[in-house]
Amino acid sequence: MILFDFELERPGTPADAVALLERLHGDARVLAGGTDLVPNMRAELIKPGVLVSLGAIAPEAPATLPDGALRIDAFSRLAELERSELVRARAPMLAESARAVGGNQVREMGTLGGNLCQESRCLYFNQRHDYQFAAPCYKLGGDRCYPFPTNKRDTCWSVYMSDVAPALIALGAEIEILSAKGIRRISAEDLFTGNGLRPLALDAAELVRAVIVPAPAPRTGWAFHKSTVRGGLEFGMAVIAVRLELAGDGKTCAGARIAIGAVRERPVRPAAAERALADAAPDDARLADAAAAAAKEVNPLPHHGFTKRYLMDNIRVHLRRLLVRAVERAGGPQA
Amino acid sequence: MSELNYVGKSWRRKDGPDKVTGKAVYTQDVKLPGTLVGRILRSPHPHARIVRIDTSRAKALPGVKAVITVDDTKGIKHGFVETPRYPADQEVLARDKVVHVGEEIAAVAAIDQATALKAVELIEVEYEHLPAVFDPLQAMKPGAPEVHPSHPKVADPYANIGGKSETEWGDVERGFAESDYVREDRFESHLRTHGYLEPHVTLAHWEGDKMNVWTSSMGAFVKRAKLARTLDLPYSAVRIHKTYVGGTFGGKIDLYSHEYCAARLSMITGRPVRIVASREEIFSAFRHGQPLAMEIKTGVKKDGTIVAQQIRVINNSGGFRGSGVVVIFLAWGFTMIPYRIPNLRYEGFSVYTNYPVRAPQRGHGAPQIRFAIESQLDRIAEDLGIDPIAIRLRNARLPGEALPNGDNVHQAGLVDCIKMAAEKSGFLEKHGRDRGAPPQGTIRRGIGIGVSAYMGGTLIYPNGSAVIVKMNDDGSAVVLTGAIDIGQGSETVISQIVAEELAIGMDDVKIISSDTDTTPQDIGAWISGMTYVTGNAARQAAGNARDKLIAVASEKLGVPVSELAVKDKVVFSTRDPSARLTYRQAIAASIATHRGDTVIGEGYWRTMRDEPNHPSLATTKGRWTENYAFSAQVAEVEVDIETGEARLVKALTVHDCGFPVNPALVKGQIDGQISMALGHAFMEEVMTKDGYTLNPNWLDYRMPTIHNMAISEDADVITEQYRVGEPYRTKEVGEGLVSGILAAMANAVYDATGVRLNSTPFTAEKILYGLKALEFKQKQASREETVGA
Amino acid sequence: MLDVTKSGLGTGTRAQSRLVSLQVNGEWHEVAVKPRVTLVEAIRDAIGLTGTKASCESGTCGACTVLVDGRPVLACITLAIECDGKEVRTVEGLADGEKLSALQEAFLDQGAIQCGFCTPGMLMSATALLERSPRPTREEINKALEGNLCRCTGYNAIVDAVLQASDQGVKPVMK
Repeated sequence: MILFDFELERPGTPADAVALLERLHGDARVLAGGTDLVPNMRAELIKPGVLVSLGAIAPEAPATLPDGALRIDAFSRLAELERSELVRARAPMLAESARAVGGNQVREMGTLGGNLCQESRCLYFNQRHDYQFAAPCYKLGGDRCYPFPTNKRDTCWSVYMSDVAPALIALGAEIEILSAKGIRRISAEDLFTGNGLRPLALDAAELVRAVIVPAPAPRTGWAFHKSTVRGGLEFGMAVIAVRLELAGDGKTCAGARIAIGAVRERPVRPAAAERALADAAPDDARLADAAAAAAKEVNPLPHHGFTKRYLMDNIRVHLRRLLVRAVERAGGPQA
Repeated sequence: MSELNYVGKSWRRKDGPDKVTGKAVYTQDVKLPGTLVGRILRSPHPHARIVRIDTSRAKALPGVKAVITVDDTKGIKHGFVETPRYPADQEVLARDKVVHVGEEIAAVAAIDQATALKAVELIEVEYEHLPAVFDPLQAMKPGAPEVHPSHPKVADPYANIGGKSETEWGDVERGFAESDYVREDRFESHLRTHGYLEPHVTLAHWEGDKMNVWTSSMGAFVKRAKLARTLDLPYSAVRIHKTYVGGTFGGKIDLYSHEYCAARLSMITGRPVRIVASREEIFSAFRHGQPLAMEIKTGVKKDGTIVAQQIRVINNSGGFRGSGVVVIFLAWGFTMIPYRIPNLRYEGFSVYTNYPVRAPQRGHGAPQIRFAIESQLDRIAEDLGIDPIAIRLRNARLPGEALPNGDNVHQAGLVDCIKMAAEKSGFLEKHGRDRGAPPQGTIRRGIGIGVSAYMGGTLIYPNGSAVIVKMNDDGSAVVLTGAIDIGQGSETVISQIVAEELAIGMDDVKIISSDTDTTPQDIGAWISGMTYVTGNAARQAAGNARDKLIAVASEKLGVPVSELAVKDKVVFSTRDPSARLTYRQAIAASIATHRGDTVIGEGYWRTMRDEPNHPSLATTKGRWTENYAFSAQVAEVEVDIETGEARLVKALTVHDCGFPVNPALVKGQIDGQISMALGHAFMEEVMTKDGYTLNPNWLDYRMPTIHNMAISEDADVITEQYRVGEPYRTKEVGEGLVSGILAAMANAVYDATGVRLNSTPFTAEKILYGLKALEFKQKQASREETVGA
Repeated sequence: MLDVTKSGLGTGTRAQSRLVSLQVNGEWHEVAVKPRVTLVEAIRDAIGLTGTKASCESGTCGACTVLVDGRPVLACITLAIECDGKEVRTVEGLADGEKLSALQEAFLDQGAIQCGFCTPGMLMSATALLERSPRPTREEINKALEGNLCRCTGYNAIVDAVLQASDQGVKPVMK
């Protein structure tokens, strides 16, 4: 039940949608699957004057580009990605991450773009504020931070909890962003500001239009894990995605991309850990060291009842297991 | 009765077809024209004095039909307990001060939700902040912020004591002196919510002289009594109508403020008023279960025989008395039932804090105290070198034993439960296996056992149930019962009993239930007595109708009553089956020859007919019930020792629930309790900060999903004894089985990992750091050994 | 930070209701709704089919699940206006007249119902699963029903009901 009025527009094409957004000067929000936006409107965390619905625009089917990359319409439902033979064959980690989102209905409703554009979350934030935490926090334009009272003004440690984003970052995906000015392409990592107040590096008149996942090099392995308490219908305590490439000798790690989500204001790539894996033999000890280094480097925020210490331990263990798995999948020495 | 056709068999639910087709009417489905929307203004502070309330701006808002504060009420208090020692203590809306976040201060009725919300926002309240207290140990200290004055009859010098239960038998000091081994431990349980899917919702319609109420509840007669009293109306002026109820688990007993407000607003506006609680309100302002801190000192002989036990329980009972003083009484009760304790001293304190009020919750104290006692018992067994089965068998009560309060456990099946649980689970072969010889990999498996016992049908208002069976001319029956089907299957069970006693088909029984104007009084779907109390009232009523049919047939056929029997809606002579009268004929005959009397049966039941009252909450004196159910439950868990992540893999419940009227419904109760207990153990926690709720939603309050359910097996131990002549000797099965299994999971986590957790929940974090602490200790020990060498 | 200073439409403006056509259980209904009206409100209040239950009203429990063009969606966080022209199926549409669906029968046979409040949503998620995958594995069942909370049954009976309905050797336990 939403208790305030707004208008809703249903443009017929993406171009019309961004033209509308441009015209509305930030008074509008994009409505895709609504699984993040509508609950936030119900709680009155967001009160837009207009919703620009993408419901009248049919998504294009995933397609392979000439260079072998996979282009996926951002309006695609997560369940479609999960079920798409093409996505499962060409970007299985993306399919698996889509399958990890929410519950069955959320995946049928939610879109790829919508999942990427979800708000960051915090226990103190994600509820109505009629009588609980009624004075607004920084993220709501107020003057305080409830969970971290010593945080300086405008520092918000809400966490960004998309399951799909870490997978896309590990896959080296790019995001196609549409606005009235045209299309720009950024790496998936650059979609995020790292600021919990406003986690997305998107202008109000911009729309995530597509995701492009590059074709994997030969001898590439991947692995994905979402740490949860109950295995479904849940945001992750940590979401970890790994892609690892072996060199021609099949014994040396040519490079690894690790992305860890749900524990910071944005998905984090532990650069030092990735560097430590590059050009090295991915033996158990090295993978364990890298995982330990990554857990530290990520520096998780305590969130949703999980302590920083435990999140580090959880990430360290699961990341190590993922690295081993990825090496196996890449056809490495452990296979 | 030799042959049973209906009871003892797994009939489909009577209400099933309505529930799978969407026809079942719940309170939110009742629509009345002209209904207004009610909304509550709640306290934004955990503890504050109300200096001033100004509702004038709210009242002036177009679309607002009424605004009430405590000044618009009669000021009549209510309470979960209303006794001379514990009189009603809570007003329906806050007066002068608020004692918890979310406390109800005012209510509005308006034409729609948006207007009602705006009106609530327009009510001006000026508060003067008061210091608040959340930890019961802090709250007890003299000089702590005073939520309410301590109970005048509690002699201890503590602050904020809402109530105290104490009892003692034997000589505890001597018991400890005579013990070979004494152990002291402290345990804590955490805050959990009930998790009923249907939110609290009330629709009230005042018709000038009649208050019609539809509300999601656990017992219509309790609701009527409390609503009538607080509204200052005669009972006959309040009618609680039947609706299906979407789950309760203890959280919908007692009077809730929104129920009163809907009724009062309807009286003022003359229109129906509906108030729906949002899930956030239920989480942050309504009642949850009760977190207990439990200190236990136990003395045993070398062979594990319990000699003495001293228990101190402290309940964080929130801003009013609620059921806080009941849970500290019950924690004693759940201590005394399963094992012989020759010397015991018990004291329980219910302590006011600035949290929302507490409610009963499935098990009502049993999960907490059994977790503590059974965990400690395992530690004692290990310290003494006894296995967990042996120590339990050593202390388990035997059939026919008298309890310290004078109750008798009758055919207590506990010993059989423990033996069968051990045998069926292969307990002793599995116990200690992974700790003894750790397997490859990171997964460790553990097994644990827990024992519990539960009473049924205890005396609490209205203390008994009545049932009326009206025969239709065609021989079918209409059953009037106040019992409310909250999902447990009361309508099905009552139908089975009536069908059995009257020898008519399940389809011949039509149930009219839970309507205070048309159905007789009923104890309600709590205190675990529905099948026993209302079931036996139904048996009496149907038997009474049957006897009348037989009496008429006897006259008509000229066959003595003793030679008549019933089958398939026919009364017949057992000597000459051709001498027969159908029910239709018998009823017609009754009307023709007995002043027009049709056939109506009446039945009444109450636990302990000779017992005037419920036992004393303060002293525990007085009998409790004649109806104790026993159980032993085994849990098998898996723990990932690198992450601490744990899950229940398999649960075995061996229980003595008396005669299972509907075995599949019994199984449903068991599975539901296993699921709830594993949520308690591993997942669920209402997180709070300074009295505010951090996770008022089902994403962050993690109730089990379909992924988490374990294999759940069960067996009833001594059914055969009941089958012979005692098909109505039913016992409790609806809430006692959340307890032993919780303890079993704690013990299984220990068995898997060596980590002993004295507080719920058993989070991955606690288990992991328990493991790390063990590792550290071992390293230290081996280092010391090296140094010593 | 979020732009909360804006508060929906400016004061004095009221969103216009629009006529939305929904084909609910085979029958077309036209309902006038403002954009903020959710699908569960339209179904329960405007169309009057109360079998669909409103529980958390924030998309976290699955009680309000209905099928929109065959997909299970959370009706409490779906705007009715977004379903214009679409096919909506609710629990009332599962039976063929008096004849219950195999899944409904299986729920009765397995004791997969207690309080019944999650049942309509559970049935809709399970119906969508069986339409897509007539003989689902246990893992598929778990995944397809993970968004439907049930506090009463502990789920095992529900899984058995889906297995029975999909003819995978599970026999009724109730008669």
